[in-house]
Amino acid sequence: MLEMNGISKIYRTDLIETHALRNFSLKVGDGEFVAVTGPSGSGKTTFMNVAGLLESFDTGSYKLDGADVSRLSDEQRSRLRNEKIGFIFQSFNLIPDLDIYDNVDVPLRYRRLAAKDRDQRIKSALEVVGLSSRMHHMPSQLSGGQQQRAAIARALAGDPRFLLADEPTGNVDSLMARQVMDLLEQINEMGTTIIMVTHDPELARRAHRNVHIVDGQISDFRPYEPRAEIEAAAVAHGPAPMTMTPA
Amino acid sequence: MFGYYLKLASRNLRRNPGLTALMIGAVALGIAVCVMTLTMYRALSGNPIWWKNDVLYAVTMDFWDPTEEYFDSKPGVPPWQLTYRDALAVFASDIPKRKVIMHKAVGTLSLEDRQARPERVTTRVTTTDFFGAFDVPFQYGGTWAPSADTGPEPVMVISRAMNEKYFGGRNSVGERIRWNDNEFRIVGVRDHWMPLPSFYDVNNGSLEEPEDVYIPFGWNAALEIYSAGNTQGWKAEEINSYRDFLNSENIWIQMWVELPDENARRRFQDFLDNYAQEQKQAGRYGRPLNNRLTPVDQWLVDNDVVGNDDRVLVGLAFAFLAVCLLNTVGLLLAKFLNGAAMTGVRRALGASRRQVFMQHLVEVGVVSSIGAALGLALGGLMLMGLRALYTVDPTDQGGTQALAQVDMTSVATALALAFVATIAAGLYPAWRIGRIPPATYLKAQ
Amino acid sequence: MTAWNLRPIASALWRNRTGALLVAFQIAIGLAVLVNAVYIVKQRVEKISRPTGMDTANMIFVASAGFARDFDYDASWREDIATLRAIPGVQAASVISNIPLSGGGSSSGFQARPGETNPEKTVPGNTYLIDEQGVDALGITLSAGRAFEPQEILPPTPTFDAASQAIVTKAFAKSLFPDDPNPLGKTFFDGLSRPITIVGVIEHMHGAWVSWDKLDHVVLFPRIKTGPSAIYVVRAEPGRQDAVMREIEAKLGDSNPGRLMRWVRPMSYFIEQSYLDDRNMAIFLVSVTGVLLAVTALGIFGLATFNVSTRIRQIGTRRAVGARRMDIVRHFLVENWMVTTAGVVVGCAGALAVGYWLSVKYQLPRLDLYYLVGGVLAIWLIGLLAAWQPARRASAISPAVATRTV
Repeated sequence: MLEMNGISKIYRTDLIETHALRNFSLKVGDGEFVAVTGPSGSGKTTFMNVAGLLESFDTGSYKLDGADVSRLSDEQRSRLRNEKIGFIFQSFNLIPDLDIYDNVDVPLRYRRLAAKDRDQRIKSALEVVGLSSRMHHMPSQLSGGQQQRAAIARALAGDPRFLLADEPTGNVDSLMARQVMDLLEQINEMGTTIIMVTHDPELARRAHRNVHIVDGQISDFRPYEPRAEIEAAAVAHGPAPMTMTPA
Repeated sequence: MFGYYLKLASRNLRRNPGLTALMIGAVALGIAVCVMTLTMYRALSGNPIWWKNDVLYAVTMDFWDPTEEYFDSKPGVPPWQLTYRDALAVFASDIPKRKVIMHKAVGTLSLEDRQARPERVTTRVTTTDFFGAFDVPFQYGGTWAPSADTGPEPVMVISRAMNEKYFGGRNSVGERIRWNDNEFRIVGVRDHWMPLPSFYDVNNGSLEEPEDVYIPFGWNAALEIYSAGNTQGWKAEEINSYRDFLNSENIWIQMWVELPDENARRRFQDFLDNYAQEQKQAGRYGRPLNNRLTPVDQWLVDNDVVGNDDRVLVGLAFAFLAVCLLNTVGLLLAKFLNGAAMTGVRRALGASRRQVFMQHLVEVGVVSSIGAALGLALGGLMLMGLRALYTVDPTDQGGTQALAQVDMTSVATALALAFVATIAAGLYPAWRIGRIPPATYLKAQ
Repeated sequence: MTAWNLRPIASALWRNRTGALLVAFQIAIGLAVLVNAVYIVKQRVEKISRPTGMDTANMIFVASAGFARDFDYDASWREDIATLRAIPGVQAASVISNIPLSGGGSSSGFQARPGETNPEKTVPGNTYLIDEQGVDALGITLSAGRAFEPQEILPPTPTFDAASQAIVTKAFAKSLFPDDPNPLGKTFFDGLSRPITIVGVIEHMHGAWVSWDKLDHVVLFPRIKTGPSAIYVVRAEPGRQDAVMREIEAKLGDSNPGRLMRWVRPMSYFIEQSYLDDRNMAIFLVSVTGVLLAVTALGIFGLATFNVSTRIRQIGTRRAVGARRMDIVRHFLVENWMVTTAGVVVGCAGALAVGYWLSVKYQLPRLDLYYLVGGVLAIWLIGLLAAWQPARRASAISPAVATRTV
């Protein structure tokens, strides 16, 4: 599903070079739920950005769904993002001018789907996250948890192969955080691969597998015990045990 | 997709109504000032008979003061008018396809029965080819026979406006009318005609309206008609009668010829030079041989039809447009950068750089279009204000009325120019916003 | 003294330079236009407000055109003049050949010595034919000599004839006799070397064409204008111009079916007409420049507002660490002043370049540097005023925003 080999990413300014990722390698199988942890500045966000095709990298190779993405044009990367990846952000990043329905519509618009098809997808995505009754509310009218569920609906609407979640519960209270996690697990069980960056050990433990980044590299030190360590270890280099891929 | 971009643009623009109004206002003002100035400039500088530029020539001959140039600032350019006797002598040539000698006069128009109030009318004393040479349209009838030029026969062409005043707009060909109490017969009614600038006689400024009535050139001598344009002389001469005046070195006659091809042009130039040579031998010309056939384009330049003030104003208009565009670009950039976080989200959700660029360009287009529409309306108002500025007495508007009748092409040109400039100016902010790496604004603050 | 903190402000500006550069360019253009526009307007206003030497506020011109074959011009002008002089409120009335300051007139060249007709020795003058009340009707002041006597007035001729006596302006006499302070009684010559004696000297008077540099070279001859069109100049008593004009229209209107009364107009009509282009140029320049500066000010305002709105947290943080409201205001004003000054520097060069171009094109005196200094001060002030409100709003931001998360 996702295979990074020897990826390096260096940020250069006039004065300093920051090695955000050094010789970073990671494989994530189909249907996995991986939590990425690490201290501030360890390279978590850079990893997310590279994985989500938001940023390029300097060396190494990256295969997504079997295709080499290191030499794609902006147009091709954008299409991949649109069709295969769903993003969930810590601060939701809902577009404040658009109501929930139109927010979920955004990625579908860029895929140039027919109006009828879009409408169907939006409604079913909102149903999955339980916001069908709020589809014409503005983001500012919703609570933090509802906003994050709307953002998840937006990420799901395009039927992505995998979800990238960056501190998805960072801005919601603990009750809501549990709901959001339940939702993510439910989605994962339906076959979507999830990579989640978090610093919350509680959440990380609910993933199949934990990846800990320190100084831009995967560290062997694992502060938390993943829920399904054994399963994860078993699938680390192979296909996922649950092969319910979305149609 | 375009519809979606349009929807986004209108939503974005409505989010900051103040900023949007500022941008649209700036574009509208810039366009309005440009439309106004360029329209005026074109009215003053355009060649209103460009289709005849290679056949229609002003005839000038330099027999001015042997000790002095005619134009201080343009050495070598002959005076723009001819003496009466030179004009008649050159008019005798049958090389030109059409030949016009003329001047502007004023007279009083009246009816035999004194039913209508007598009226002071501008009068062009000219030859039959005037109407053909300058493509003057007729509502009724036409020009007089060539024999009427020198006869002279009491025939007259009147303007459409005069025809409405005296004959209620009906076909008045054949009617009698009096000019300075001499009876004339109407042979034609000139239709609407307003060449801008009024190139064929630049004595009275370039916004001069065409004359009310036209009578044959031969009437000069018979009725002792003086010019109401400009009469200039360099030589101190004893002038005791109108006959002395006609034979003097005073210049007051304009001459134009139509020469269908290069051969005719060369032959006519030779004819002019021969005539001047003869006059020199007879002891008349003190200046070097300098006879010119000037096409309309060059004629407008030689006679400074476009004044310095007009050029300064065009410069000012462009400076103004530049400021308005810089302003709009700055505001657009600020606005787009303000929304960069949301653009980042769109990029993450799969919008490509090109799609982001297009989305913002559509927004620029909406601002430009509304600005252009408002600018056009505003420019129209300004043109009306301009007319008011040039009107001292509302009953006597003269040629400034023509500013209201500016042709649509020049308005469209100015508008298109300004519109394209605005879109071009909007390219930068739209491009800039597309270049922002999508990840930059995604992280929580 | 580090209170002004210029360097960090400048480096912050440099990092967001595009917007600042755009505004600086607007300011540069604004300054270049402002300075030159003010300079041109000043010259036009001076030109329009030159003294004319005449009593223009009370002068009226009347034009008639005889057109009938049996029209008797001689009887007509005598009758008209008698009628005009009898109207209550009329100080003086004269037949005159042309209307001063109207853009239409007649000029001839004269010489100090007979036969010296080469151009360098020829002095041009605006010539007018008037009768014995002409000097009074024009309201001109004679600094020496006298007006024409009734018996000196010559009959109309069919041509463009002068006379053997003349009243001339001081300026004309000075051009003719540069070394003679008292030209009264001297003789000069027309192009045919006919002698003309100066019987009166006019302190100052304007002739026909307002843009001619010999506008104040005027020569008056005692002769009646050639018919059959007549022009009369009438001088009303102060405050009675309107009443006199109405009376003239009533008395002369339909008095003679063989001629057409063309119009009765105040002198101001012709002056306005003649200076129309100058006046309109001034109006254009003032209004376009005004709007241009307003747009520039809005640009400055927009940039400052944007800078404030994108830095709310930063401002809150500054406040939280102890910046006073005044410090915040000053920060933004200094930042804005830097942008303005960058524009002003480029604008000065632009203003001088435009000024040079105009001086070449118009043969105007080179741009006065005082105008540049004034323009710079004005732009600085405009910049300050435009940035004031956003800076004040920035200073009102609560320090608490620094600790807020979103």
